[in-house]
Amino acid sequence: MGLPKRKTDIKVFGVSQNTNNFVIGRRKELLEEITKSDTFLPDSIMHDDMDLGMLEFVKENFKIVSDGEELPVIPKILTIQRWSEFKNNWNFSDEDGNMKLPFIAVVRKPDVQLGTNPSIQRTIPDRRDFFYASVPTWDGNQMGADVYKIPQPVPVDIGFEVTIVCTKFRDINTFNKKVLQKFSSRQSYTKIKGHYIPIILERIENDNSVSESMDNRRFYVQNYSFTMLGFLIDEEEFEIKPAISRAILMTEVESRKLKSSNKSNLITLNSSYGDGSIIATYTATSQYKVDKTIEIVFNDVIETITGNSINQTVRLFVDTNQTSGTTQYSINEDYTNTTGYNTFSGVTINSIGKSKYSYSYEIT
Amino acid sequence: MNKIDNINYLLYMKNKLPITRISKFFSQTDMDLNIQLGEEYLHGDLGMRLVLFRVDRQKTDTDNVYGEVGKDGIKFYPPVEFYGLVKIQEPKNNSYTKGVNRYLEPGNMTISVYLKHLEEMRIDIKYGDFIGYPESEEKIRYYTVTNDGKIVSDNKHNMFGFKPYYRTIDCAPAQEFEFRGI
Repeated sequence: MGLPKRKTDIKVFGVSQNTNNFVIGRRKELLEEITKSDTFLPDSIMHDDMDLGMLEFVKENFKIVSDGEELPVIPKILTIQRWSEFKNNWNFSDEDGNMKLPFIAVVRKPDVQLGTNPSIQRTIPDRRDFFYASVPTWDGNQMGADVYKIPQPVPVDIGFEVTIVCTKFRDINTFNKKVLQKFSSRQSYTKIKGHYIPIILERIENDNSVSESMDNRRFYVQNYSFTMLGFLIDEEEFEIKPAISRAILMTEVESRKLKSSNKSNLITLNSSYGDGSIIATYTATSQYKVDKTIEIVFNDVIETITGNSINQTVRLFVDTNQTSGTTQYSINEDYTNTTGYNTFSGVTINSIGKSKYSYSYEIT
Repeated sequence: MNKIDNINYLLYMKNKLPITRISKFFSQTDMDLNIQLGEEYLHGDLGMRLVLFRVDRQKTDTDNVYGEVGKDGIKFYPPVEFYGLVKIQEPKNNSYTKGVNRYLEPGNMTISVYLKHLEEMRIDIKYGDFIGYPESEEKIRYYTVTNDGKIVSDNKHNMFGFKPYYRTIDCAPAQEFEFRGI
């Protein structure tokens, strides 16, 4: 089982010696907030997260008190499930099951459009993944690293209507003051899983049909339309790939040197050939001196003038006290080789083509 | 009005304010008689039996953003049988998207139920509850309450202007994602 991943300092782009330390510190702090979990990756941000972010924003920033009591905010984004609407309203309901005034409700427009946030719209085509972090891994035996890649978040514009329903003009004023103060810089921010998501106040509308009614119950309904410039981060799209693995390999090396009668080569081949005809017997004499039994493997390829080739492998065992040996082989009429024990070759046969050989040896 | 009637009457009104209007022509006794005759007809002769599935809003766990539940996630109180006068509208032939993806669904159901009956059963029908109506021996169709008709102040729901005596409950066909029945 792997050990829990350790959170290390993830590099922040643009850090240099000249950079203001406070700025870098703040950027690292922001990064820390969006990677609170142990996965190093940012959490998914989906529609419901942003809806919840808006609800929290309203609850936190638009608290107003009327006649000594705080105006209740309907705690959920209401949907088409009827019983659910009743469930969420019944705390504020009268004996007829109607909501008591005043109250504040948050309504999400069902249609979520592709975003207009200028920082992230239409910059990178396709859903290509980009490097996010390199994270060390350790499974108890092997140290390595994973490369985390994520695609560009999908920008979305989500429309909300925050509605205050009340019976007093003073409540309208207080609520309006709160909203305008909050959005005096055009936009405000809600924090969703460590990300600051901007919200823009689009317009304020009054539903005059109820406040100006002569024959029905009169109350004020004022709608504040907001657009949240959010983005979707889907962890299903994240890509985690192993980068490099560092393995501890242990190799035992024997330091003993093989002695040779020849400085440049362990083995010297002196080949003599037959009469140069195709059908011949070839002889090679080798000199060697080793202090341990070795096996020499010769690979011989003879290319004939007809385009055929003859492959032959000869394995020669040399004992400790053996210093030379003679090997022989023949090419017969069919261009096939016959090899005997202790034979090898490495010859050039002018009459039928070229021959090249290589050899290696193994300590047995 | 004799003594016993007066006691019952006061109990029914929770001892707040006795209703004495049109007392020259009508009384609680007359009203009780009418309701009794009506119940005999409705419960006995017609016998239109329905099943009420009340949503337990306390025990039902909902998601924290939308207050929704998944399939079969709603918790119910034990189902209760009750009687009412049932009217079902014609089926609706409609489409989901501009003339394609057609669907045919039952018309809405309207139930008239005596207040006294609900009080005796100790039940209340609320917005969003589910009601089953046995269409045939094999098939029960389920509806959800779209208007629980709690407000009964109008003339129609009052017996000769004396006191309200029944509720009209509007229901729409329940979809399978919200209630699959039993």
